[in-house]
Amino acid sequence: MRYGGDNRGRLLIIVLLVTSLFLITLDLRGVQVIDGLRTGTQTALTPVQKAGSWVVSPFRNFLSDVTHLGRTRNQIEKLRDENDKLRLTLQNRKTADAQLKQLKGVLNLAGTAGYDVVNAKVISQGSTTSFTQTITIDAGTSSGVRANMTVLSGYGLVGVVKFAYRNSALVQLASDPAFKIGARIAGTQQIGILSGQGTRKGVLQLLDNTTQVRKGDALLARGSQNGRPFVPGVPIGEVTSVDNSPGSVTQTADVKFYTNFSTLGVVAVVVSGSTADPRDSLVPPKPRPTPLPTVTVYATPGAVEPSPTATK
Amino acid sequence: MSLRRFLFSFPIFFTVFLLQEAVVTQMRLPAGGINLLLVVALIWAALSTPEIGALTGFGAGLMMDVSQTSPGPMGHWTLVLIIACYAIAFLGYGDDNIRGNPINIILLVTVGVVGAQTVFLLLGMMLGQEVGSVSNIAFLLAGSAFWTAIISPLILKVVSFFHAIIFGARAHL
Repeated sequence: MRYGGDNRGRLLIIVLLVTSLFLITLDLRGVQVIDGLRTGTQTALTPVQKAGSWVVSPFRNFLSDVTHLGRTRNQIEKLRDENDKLRLTLQNRKTADAQLKQLKGVLNLAGTAGYDVVNAKVISQGSTTSFTQTITIDAGTSSGVRANMTVLSGYGLVGVVKFAYRNSALVQLASDPAFKIGARIAGTQQIGILSGQGTRKGVLQLLDNTTQVRKGDALLARGSQNGRPFVPGVPIGEVTSVDNSPGSVTQTADVKFYTNFSTLGVVAVVVSGSTADPRDSLVPPKPRPTPLPTVTVYATPGAVEPSPTATK
Repeated sequence: MSLRRFLFSFPIFFTVFLLQEAVVTQMRLPAGGINLLLVVALIWAALSTPEIGALTGFGAGLMMDVSQTSPGPMGHWTLVLIIACYAIAFLGYGDDNIRGNPINIILLVTVGVVGAQTVFLLLGMMLGQEVGSVSNIAFLLAGSAFWTAIISPLILKVVSFFHAIIFGARAHL
């Protein structure tokens, strides 16, 4: 039997429809009660929704991964590319920071001595297969760089310009076996000739056998006529050991160069030396040993636990 | 008596409402997802008399209206669901060919969901709401029909069970 409806049923439907239309009218007229009802419901629902979100999140993530499979892969690729770029930027930044530090050191040294310098970046390290120690810098004759000019780092002598091209120059490092420089010991002013050995160590041959040289003495460049190839006063290195074997004609000493040739990034070419000899003013200060706090524990028989005593 | 029995169905609908708001909306299902409360209300109505169907639509519509996700004014969904649930109940009432066959109920509910949403849209347009592009509407309606056809068979037995508890075993599938 099909439902035909009765008066009570029709009345109910009409009442419900009118109620809904009444609600719509009230809401559209901006009655506060209606707004409050919705806001209140949402306030009450928020904790439930938060809990639901926490419960559903694994399933939602899985579903999202499934439905966005292609897009997710593309996004991963995109993020990978971005990550590579950021890594490169970070690496460049680190390099730039290191170069800046070196540049500051060079400028400090040159500024103290009063040298006119041209800064340059090391663009290549010479091949060691030919048993030479050279670097190529990105400054050449167009920047005022000429052959036989002193090259500095923030720590001291790097070498000398062997060949200058228009936009680059070849520098012979002080560690090159063919490199020789007239040096003097800071303070005593004893003189000698320092030769490169192919490593960071050089050999100093003193000219006067009666003079005294000690471990830890600083060596400076004596300087050449008109400041070429060497300007005076450039720190070279410090004596690490002295050969005092009896019977030797001349006294020799091993010297460790201040400059670490394997980490050169920025150097300076001295295009014009100072009018006055800086003498010993460029000798780097000796590192002061920092006191390390030590703790001595005295065990006392009968005591509950040993008491530590701090001493410096 | 029917009205008093109808009040017993409130906890069921409230639970479904909470499920819809706390779980289903969080899942972000593709193609617009599903409105569980709408589907349950239509299934409930399909198993009830037209008066109970209309009351069911009224209650479920009020719940959907107080939801924060409802774009229309208060009473918008209520009006739509009163009509939809009454129509579904009217179509199914007294016809055992429809009520006795779950496939018919699923079909009725799926058509009812799409119809209710279409009426909701039309009413929204009349009230000055932005409804978006036609292609988007068509996509969402198709998605809604798809999800209803998927979910309805899964929950039909449960809804029918609770309906039978409240209104008697006569309507139990």
